[in-house]
Amino acid sequence: MSGVRLTLRPGVGTSIDTDKTLTFSFDGKSYEGHVGDTLASALLANGVDIVARSFKYHRPRGIFSAGSEEPSALVTLRSGARQEPNIRATEIELYEGLEARSQNRWPSAKFDLMAINQLPGKAFAAGFYYKTFMGTPGMGTKFWWFCEQFIRRAAGLGKPTVDPDPDHYARMNAYCDVLVVGSGAAGIAAAKRAASAGARVILCDESAEAGGSLRSACEYLDGEAAQDWVKRELAALAEHENVRVLSRCTVQSMFDGETYLAIERVADHKLRPAPHEPRQRAWTIRTTSAVIATGAIERPMVFGGNDKPGVILADAARRYAREFGVSPGRSVAVFTNNDTGWLAARDMARCGVIITAIIDTRSDVGDAIREAGAETRATIHTGSAVLRAKGFQTLSAVEVADFNETTNTVGSNRQIVACDALAVSGGWSPAFHLTSQQGGKHLTSQQGGKPVWDSELQAFLPGEATSNWHGAGAMAGKFGLRQAFRSGEEAAVLALADCGLGEGESSVPEIEGDSIDYAPAPVFEVRSKHKAFVDLQHDVTADDVRLAHREGFVSVEHLKRYTTLGMATDQGKTSNVTGLAIMAEARDLPIPEVGTTRFRPPYTPVALGAVAGEKFGHLAAERLTPMHDWHVANRAGMYANGPWLRPESYNGPGETVEQAYIREARAVRESVGIVDVSTLGKIDVQGPDAVEFLNRVYSNGFAKLPVGKARYGLMLREDGFLFDDGTTWRLDEHRFLMTTTTAGAGRVMEHLEYHRDVVWPDLKVALTSVSDEWAGVALAGPKSRAVLENLFGAKPISNDQLPFMGVRELKLGGIDVLIARLSFSGELAYELYCGAHCGQGLWDALMEAGRPHRITPYGLEALSTLRIEKGHVAGPELNGRTTPHDLGLSGMVSTKKNFIGKALLQREALQSEDRLQLVAIKSVDGQRIRGGSHLVAGNRDEPGISQGHTTSTCFSPELNCYVSLALLERGKIRHGEKMFATNPVRSAHVAVEVVSPHMVDPKGERMHG
Amino acid sequence: MADAIEKVSPLHALAEPGRFGDTSGEPGVGLSERLCDSLVQVQAWPDSISALKKAVKSVTGASIKPGNAVATKGDVVLMSTGPGRWLVEDETDDLEVRLRKAIGADIGAVTALTHARTVVSISGERCEWVLASGIALDFSADAFPVGTAKLSHHHEIGLTIHRTGDQAFDLYVVTSMVRSFWGWIARASAEVGYTVS
Repeated sequence: MSGVRLTLRPGVGTSIDTDKTLTFSFDGKSYEGHVGDTLASALLANGVDIVARSFKYHRPRGIFSAGSEEPSALVTLRSGARQEPNIRATEIELYEGLEARSQNRWPSAKFDLMAINQLPGKAFAAGFYYKTFMGTPGMGTKFWWFCEQFIRRAAGLGKPTVDPDPDHYARMNAYCDVLVVGSGAAGIAAAKRAASAGARVILCDESAEAGGSLRSACEYLDGEAAQDWVKRELAALAEHENVRVLSRCTVQSMFDGETYLAIERVADHKLRPAPHEPRQRAWTIRTTSAVIATGAIERPMVFGGNDKPGVILADAARRYAREFGVSPGRSVAVFTNNDTGWLAARDMARCGVIITAIIDTRSDVGDAIREAGAETRATIHTGSAVLRAKGFQTLSAVEVADFNETTNTVGSNRQIVACDALAVSGGWSPAFHLTSQQGGKHLTSQQGGKPVWDSELQAFLPGEATSNWHGAGAMAGKFGLRQAFRSGEEAAVLALADCGLGEGESSVPEIEGDSIDYAPAPVFEVRSKHKAFVDLQHDVTADDVRLAHREGFVSVEHLKRYTTLGMATDQGKTSNVTGLAIMAEARDLPIPEVGTTRFRPPYTPVALGAVAGEKFGHLAAERLTPMHDWHVANRAGMYANGPWLRPESYNGPGETVEQAYIREARAVRESVGIVDVSTLGKIDVQGPDAVEFLNRVYSNGFAKLPVGKARYGLMLREDGFLFDDGTTWRLDEHRFLMTTTTAGAGRVMEHLEYHRDVVWPDLKVALTSVSDEWAGVALAGPKSRAVLENLFGAKPISNDQLPFMGVRELKLGGIDVLIARLSFSGELAYELYCGAHCGQGLWDALMEAGRPHRITPYGLEALSTLRIEKGHVAGPELNGRTTPHDLGLSGMVSTKKNFIGKALLQREALQSEDRLQLVAIKSVDGQRIRGGSHLVAGNRDEPGISQGHTTSTCFSPELNCYVSLALLERGKIRHGEKMFATNPVRSAHVAVEVVSPHMVDPKGERMHG
Repeated sequence: MADAIEKVSPLHALAEPGRFGDTSGEPGVGLSERLCDSLVQVQAWPDSISALKKAVKSVTGASIKPGNAVATKGDVVLMSTGPGRWLVEDETDDLEVRLRKAIGADIGAVTALTHARTVVSISGERCEWVLASGIALDFSADAFPVGTAKLSHHHEIGLTIHRTGDQAFDLYVVTSMVRSFWGWIARASAEVGYTVS
């Protein structure tokens, strides 16, 4: 193929601006093109014939199509962090400085040493991996692993960059009455009709310039050239207040509920996005109804060497001539089985392309078509077929043979036709990929139905719609402009009915142009001894399909997976039907009985960035407490606890986390510490039945909790296992403030709402999350009361006024502060809550008041250390597999009332004393007990079986050794026993003593003091 | 005794006034933030909705409107957030107390959310575009008229959205996540250019 730029004149090069020249590079060489060119058209215009090497055999490949169906011309675009592989040259809009490279070759596309892969020939046929590496004696999985690295290097596509993507991606949610996919004749007709009825319309087209086939059509509409008509109509539509026209926007997926995903290439046609401009935008479009007018994809013919650069789809060749003023070769032959190939030849000839021959498998061709052929001055070969393409690397001639339509076989008459481009048309396959995505009769969510075979068109048509979409134009088998306009309007009327809108106004233009039969002859392959490709992108040949048949892979699903037919990035847009036809012939079945596979979203490959959208870096929203900035400014290492960020410890200069938390915990025991507890889940429980509700939710009694008091409560799941814990404060007769664990707040809320709404709908209880309303601060330590006395005076904080578990409201600095005397550490301690926006002020006031007592802020690690020493359970012990009895909390299980989980808690197995029970262990020899250790009886050499495991581990400043809470079989009766805490992963085997979990102040004198 | 404790916005360090994002033309949107003086949730029992509406009117002077229509009177804003549930906002500091007096436990529940929400306001020609880029609601004037409110979310962040004008919305954002939300809305606004006031 030696493409050339044609002499540009009206009707030739309608999409390019020849006044504007652009410079670009391909494989390091500089070329020129025009604004409006695609990379493919510019490469053709510059005579670049080999643009890629094939996936498996490294065969030279050229430009095969002019759209998103391109199987061969995949290139790597840009460099550095923006390098992106496997981009279709046919879709890349040329821009100044464009940089593209061929891929899967070394050292160059023209001279590729890996083309040696062609030599083994049939050894690399379908099933090569399975036959060579699976189950072969002496060649196990390890042998495959060894070979895989070389195979991966030898075959494949381009390589992506490993640098972070410098661009950003956006999302958009859009709503409309009628979504129109495709802006060809059918799409425009549908959009106009829908808009005229007042519907909100979104019109999407994957191309830079909307218009579809109208952009290269030779017809006149209302006396105006089709290109001019479509520009004017689209401009009018874009101005319509109810219409949004999205170009460069590929509708990729159809989902349930009339929801579509479209990817808009906002800045891919530029060197780089403008500042603040996203590279791509993912549109989620929710519509009432849709008109799918996605056109049809031309099919190739299968013959020997049909992948050679120079072989191109006929309509693509026509488009290159009409839209871009480029001839695919200096001497172009056309091979077809239908009328459209002849018209493509005629239109190309009118643009100045030299047509040397038209070869048609049919003997009987209509007079109008023959006239079109005569206009090209080409030699006409009816009842003939191209047997093979000839040429070293690129096409230089085709071998033509006479063809028997009845037997689909070639005769003995052969002749060579010199040409450097062969435009091929094997018929048309409606592009119903979107509707097919939801297809399948077995699916309740089917939208596309099972595709239906049209024996006249020799094509599958979309199945019956079971949701609100309507096919139009070639996608629905309505070929030709007249049918396209008509079907577009008909589909729009149906869509408008879905919306409950009127029918709108018809405005089909007068069409002056050809009227032809689009039905092809049923010829898909011209068999020869030469390698003939069905799927160009995955190097699947016709013989591969027949091999699959011989080896029993006759189901289309098996055929697809065994040969990889249709599994490449193009999903077999140009190959699926041909592959099925060859399999049907091999099985001696009609094509529809062989079946068809289903297209999956997306329609074309999508950048991962577009899927991620603005979600990058930390993938979830962070919840921050009101004192977050203070923590960070005071050297706190922040730690994710559920969705919240909490201080792990406040690390002094040169201090490790362990040193810091030991210092902090010691300060609490000796004086006073302050910790941010704003993250605790907080639920406002109100109503005349609130107390009854709580009494049913908690395993312990709440019916008699007085106003002004708090109580620790246990919640169980329905199956009797512990679910969550926390304190609930009775603020008045019918109002409670429930606290939950930080990470458990969401699931507790769901649990409560479920029981309120579904199980006990008769109870009048209001539940509101107030986690964000309150900032929470805990003061702990023997000096904590003294700190509060500095702020509130002695009386309100006295043991009489605020006893253990007491709750009261006081004023501080003009704001209300709720104070509860609660202790998680085992020390004298208080929790103070105020409005979140005042949290920092409360914290500052407490820090100032605590200064005389050397108040120490402490983080999660010290908080955990203190409660481990005290034997208070938390998340690691409430692990979904423990019961109150296991954790020594049987006293909190009421025997007098019903509560969630009571019935199943009474199961014999859950009452067994053989279960894992809460204990503590102390390191005997000072060694560190590692988290996740198992408790065993034996030494390192013979540890024996696991009898339990650690749950929460720390260094205890109070006991001056490493300790851990643990769950141990029959643990309650094993205090004093010597064991080992073993962690083989960390090579730890530590001698420990089993002790009571209440290691500090077991009588509770400190917190009650 | 402590000095007077003032409210501090969680956005105080982020929402710096100025012009940001694309500066090539007029800013597409303006962003601002504010704290509520009082924001209180009231919810009725199934058999006491009428009584609760009367109680709210007696306290605020404003009548609750049907559906998601927002009632406003002076500085009072009443927004529906669910069946029998409304948010009441005004510029006093004792709204909760007054509502609690008027709404006994037999009528419903009263919960202060003044600190639980931080209000982010967006206005300008491109505000629908910016909001639609992250929130799955139809922001067109027909679907979301001025004077209505809707509940939605931006990913994990819960939102109550009040359309206050043709080109203006107030978004009541969960306070602990408002910084993440501000980060998103600023990034989303950068494409069209924005001011912070």
